Amino acid sequence: MGSEGSSVVVPRNFKLLEELERGEKGIGDGTVSYGMDDADDMYMRSWTGTIIGPQNTVHEGRIYQLKLFCDLDYPDNPPTVRFQTRINMTCVNQETGVVEPSQFPMLTEWHREYTMEDILTQLKKEMISPQNRKLNQPAEGSEDQKTDAKGLVFKCSIL
Amino acid sequence: MGGDGDSSKAAEAPAGDAVITINIRASNGSKFSVQTTIESTVAAFKAALVEKCEVPVEQQRLIYKGRILKDDRTLESYGLEADHTVHLVRGSAPQPASANTGSAAGTGGTNIPNTPGFTRGPGITEGGGVGAPFGDSLFPGLGINGLNGSGVPSLFGGGFSDIEQVQQQLTQNPNIMREFMNLPAVQNLMNNPDLMRQLIMSNPQMRDLIDRNPDIAHILNDPSTLRQTIEAARNPELMREMMRNTDRAMSNIESSPEGFNMLRRMYETVQEPFLNATTMAGNPGTDVASNPFAALLGNQGQTGDRSINSSNTGSETATGTPAPNTNPLPNPWNSTAATAGGQPTNTRSAPAGDARLPSIGSLGGQGVPDMGRMFGSMQDPAFVSQFLQNPAVQQVMDSMLSNPEYMNQVLSLNPQMRAMMDANPQMREMMQNPELIRQLTSPEALQHMASLQTLLSRNRPNQEQNQTGGVTGAGNNGGLDLLMNMFGGLGTGGLGTPNPLNVPPEQLYANQLSQLQEMGFFDTQENIRALSATAGNVSAAVERLLGNPGL
Repeated sequence: MGSEGSSVVVPRNFKLLEELERGEKGIGDGTVSYGMDDADDMYMRSWTGTIIGPQNTVHEGRIYQLKLFCDLDYPDNPPTVRFQTRINMTCVNQETGVVEPSQFPMLTEWHREYTMEDILTQLKKEMISPQNRKLNQPAEGSEDQKTDAKGLVFKCSIL
Repeated sequence: MGGDGDSSKAAEAPAGDAVITINIRASNGSKFSVQTTIESTVAAFKAALVEKCEVPVEQQRLIYKGRILKDDRTLESYGLEADHTVHLVRGSAPQPASANTGSAAGTGGTNIPNTPGFTRGPGITEGGGVGAPFGDSLFPGLGINGLNGSGVPSLFGGGFSDIEQVQQQLTQNPNIMREFMNLPAVQNLMNNPDLMRQLIMSNPQMRDLIDRNPDIAHILNDPSTLRQTIEAARNPELMREMMRNTDRAMSNIESSPEGFNMLRRMYETVQEPFLNATTMAGNPGTDVASNPFAALLGNQGQTGDRSINSSNTGSETATGTPAPNTNPLPNPWNSTAATAGGQPTNTRSAPAGDARLPSIGSLGGQGVPDMGRMFGSMQDPAFVSQFLQNPAVQQVMDSMLSNPEYMNQVLSLNPQMRAMMDANPQMREMMQNPELIRQLTSPEALQHMASLQTLLSRNRPNQEQNQTGGVTGAGNNGGLDLLMNMFGGLGTGGLGTPNPLNVPPEQLYANQLSQLQEMGFFDTQENIRALSATAGNVSAAVERLLGNPGL
């Protein structure tokens, strides 16, 4: 494990392979899941992660998909993390879904022992935090019927 | 068997039907393992899971390596191997009554990215989905309208996109919404629950619906509910809060055993009639004008109903093709569609060049020009406001608007408008209130309209990209266009008056006078009087001369 000791510098590939295995085997708390996008990418750069919305929050029952990109300087530098599913969260850019490092301390104070799983679980904790747990979430996708509710009110008021 | 799977791990690759063990971690924390073959589809795999986890197949969401497994793919295609772990999440059941709505949302199998960077969610939380349309709004059917009328249910997004875009724009620019809502004119409209109720009750289908469902009648007849909705609409935060509450209520309903059936019943008894009521625009014999909802939300029926629309107004060529219709809806308030069709350059040049009185006077000679259309095509708010702030224009408008008698005439001359007003006494009252009309045509109001319009039209191109099946989604913007037309038309009503000070009516109405002569009305004075009263509209003048003055 990367956390075994800071004295041992685990090479990038070893670390990623270990993370891959953990992801595939589902080691961890079981509410996040992640894996590599392209098994043929020998640099193992592009990853997909999933966060299952924590209970008793507005996120409950939702599944959030994220893209994690581990550049070649990983794990010395954090991966870029981007939500693919729309989410309303203080640390997430509403337009792009990118997790803003400035709002998400884990990325600015990155340690090479951190893993993508850590990021995902930290994000999940963030969802539980008081400022996020009750944030109104965007209607899921463009087709969700909730979407039109506001529009309806709008139309009605026009009426 | 488990051991079998383990030991066969190394040898399984070539073997076609090797059984492997897969660990499942459910979101409630329980773990178990199942045996399956790598070739089986995800759907089959889910079926095998049912007996272990008691989650119905349609509620199972399987996640592996951060990806949601789709029913029609095989486990192998996801690279699943022995002893790997798949996460199981219990999602909400697909909507039972959503033959035409749920196709995309429920399964996760049709989860297609529809915007470049932003995939839509896997559709887990339509928890509130079934209920939302009921609870979130007093007028659920209106929105679904687009979908129903578009005739292409599978492309659910199509019909919705206009609303969604309005909503998107508004959420991105809450200020616009607020400003819009705070416009005195809009407030005036909305603070009048009577008017809203009148609008609703004037629709026979809607009335029918209400007769059959006393609950709804209660809602609609309760001014405080209406006012609450209106309040909420004005205040984005409040609106969000309200919607969250309803969401919660809906999930409560869902968690009760009979909840879903209740929702379904609600859908069947309420929503469908509602849809019917609000989409009657296209039905022969139902005038657009007599159905304010249909008229406002208008074009959802475009593909199928266009011909009817056009027969009403005569200004749109009826093609009936399924191609997206990007034209604004014909202006139902425009009595002279045929004339106006021929005049677009004329009307357009007026504001652009100079707004001197004579030019406006000549506009008047052409009846009520289709200014709304011009307005719609003009997407530069600055331009509009410039035009409207021109002192000369303002003066004319003021003088016209301050004369309720004249407004009455303008309004009553238009047969469709008259029909609408006959159906809605409230509307008549509203129209006869010069104060309100002035507010509606105030530069600020129009400016806001224009900026809304700009926002919407900016979205149009990419909206079209999203349309694949020839849905008339883009045309749905026309609903707003129509609105613009409406207000634009109002403004024009004021503008389109002759100015007797500058041009003698004989000269102004020379054309129309000769037409009237040809028709056999020989009394020039009488003719002039009629023409002046009707702003040069020959047919209206004839009607007047024949003893049916508009009022």
